[in-house]
Amino acid sequence: MSAAALSLTGPARDARVAGLLSRRRKLVDGLVKLLCIAATAMGLALLASILFTLLFRGVSALGLHVFTDITRPPGSNGGLLNAIVGSLVQTMVGAAIGTPIGLMVGTYLSEYARTSALGNAVRFVSDVLLSAPSILIGLFVYTILVEPFGGFSGIAGCVALAVIVVPIVVRTTEDMLRLIPTELREAAVAVGAPKWRVIVLICYRAALDGIATGVLLAVARVAGETAPLLFTSLGNLNWSLSMTQPMSSLPVTIYQYAGSAFDDWVDLAWAGALLITFGVLALNIVARVVLRPRA
Amino acid sequence: MKLISTALALTLAAFTATAQAQQITGAGATFPAPVYAKWGEAAKAAIGIELNYQAIGSGGGQNQIINRTVDFGASDAPVDAAKLEQNHLLQFPTVMGGVVPIVNLPGIDANKLKLPSELLAEIYLGKIVKWNDPKLVEANHGLPLPNLPIAPVYRADGSGTTFVFTSYLSAVSPDWKAQVGAATSVKWVAGNGAKGNDGVAATVKQVKGGIGYVEFAYATQNKLTTTQLRNKAGHFVAPTPAAFIAAANAGDWKGAANYAVNLIDTAAADAWPIVSPTFILLPTNPQDVTHSANVIRFFDFAYKNGGDIAKSLDYIALPAAVQDAVRSSWRSEIKGPDGAPVWK
Repeated sequence: MSAAALSLTGPARDARVAGLLSRRRKLVDGLVKLLCIAATAMGLALLASILFTLLFRGVSALGLHVFTDITRPPGSNGGLLNAIVGSLVQTMVGAAIGTPIGLMVGTYLSEYARTSALGNAVRFVSDVLLSAPSILIGLFVYTILVEPFGGFSGIAGCVALAVIVVPIVVRTTEDMLRLIPTELREAAVAVGAPKWRVIVLICYRAALDGIATGVLLAVARVAGETAPLLFTSLGNLNWSLSMTQPMSSLPVTIYQYAGSAFDDWVDLAWAGALLITFGVLALNIVARVVLRPRA
Repeated sequence: MKLISTALALTLAAFTATAQAQQITGAGATFPAPVYAKWGEAAKAAIGIELNYQAIGSGGGQNQIINRTVDFGASDAPVDAAKLEQNHLLQFPTVMGGVVPIVNLPGIDANKLKLPSELLAEIYLGKIVKWNDPKLVEANHGLPLPNLPIAPVYRADGSGTTFVFTSYLSAVSPDWKAQVGAATSVKWVAGNGAKGNDGVAATVKQVKGGIGYVEFAYATQNKLTTTQLRNKAGHFVAPTPAAFIAAANAGDWKGAANYAVNLIDTAAADAWPIVSPTFILLPTNPQDVTHSANVIRFFDFAYKNGGDIAKSLDYIALPAAVQDAVRSSWRSEIKGPDGAPVWK
């Protein structure tokens, strides 16, 4: 506060101080706003530059052969067909294994064990699993499915992805079911519906959009996972759909090709990165726009 | 729901699909992955064996074959004899390759800079910090060495390439051997780390005055600025396939236990001093005799027919005498449960 303001007395001094304070507040407000805008711009610029680089490098590498030919040695102009199909199969089977489990756990937490000690314990464990590094999940599946059975396999990759899907689906299912008003359940019970019917016919129906969004986001999350697949499905240079053999996947192929000496492998890595990014982006858009909860 | 049932149907279909009978799976070193992939393509057409080789790194290759999760492991660094014995593994070499220094010096072309070996060690020890250091100028008369700080770049990830490079520095510099030593990852004294050959190459490219080391194939494919090195015989040599072959021929293959031959800093007059074989690890007590036999058939095919393929990808094929020695090791050491050799 300046000396001039302090030399005044009475109401004039108060007005002067208020004026100075308000000017300072406005200044700080403006400054913070500017910082926020700068931070947002930086985040958006990063995202834009990632997408732009991907488009720039990926589109030029994209061709029909990427979708029709399998991975080949350097210089043979191979494609990514086995990796694309392998990724699709593992993601879908992983989601198919993980979704029902997550759905049932989420239902249990919301409908049967909202406040019980067991419910809280399950919720805590699920939340811990949600933030567990995915490489640990890969190692876990390695020790239970790869080492004892003497080999890497597609099914081990699916199980690893399923373990990642479960806690995501648990969280969204529980959150969505909790949003449903108790009155709705009471109304159903009042007309004589047993609890399971209330859950299946009333709660699930009301929360369907939210739960479906959760499943799609879980699929989007596991579609880009490399770490859990490195130790489980390993990767495969050849065409193989066998669940007991190593299976190829896009993220692992990108991981191995991106740093190689050969231009055609590096190009394929970019093409693969483009495919994954836009696949995941499309899933996110579908989840957010098409399945947006009706107001 | 529909999604789930479709996925389930797909799973069932995948489970019932029969696996290819002739598939063999290997994992390990990144360095030979391109040549193994190319050999695999040729072998599939010629002898019907489908190779799936995954480059997960030398350390991973050793662990996976010890755990018997793959048919064979691959490693750039040789495994010591006790560990091989304990885990019932046979080690044999497949191809050789060189490691080469790369630099970023304005106005200096590939293979013009001459690096006496002890100076390379001093650069990585942080003792020589400027490109116009009198010792470097003395070795490079007439070359416009700039007044730039030297920015050494090393592999931050564990790497067989680092093992080979630090083995070389240990061989030529007692200081390096005492202070740092040779391993797949070491405690670096000077410089900055980068991941993979590509990371090192990119960092060197960005920093004027940068120096790094990469596999020869990586340097050739990406037209990087390599340097000459002074070898044990005192000659400056450029990294060429001929210089690698000279080193390979100078190696004491017969005297090396488990084929762990040392091709670093050989005495041959025109040998490149940083050359190393890469190895395969194969169980001597295979659980699945057919798979084991197929792995051997594959590498036998690769020895016979893979030389040109290796050359086209800047790798060096094994001398014929070594190939024959490996063949007799296969016969004498790899036996099925009935005691009969797996491969005849």
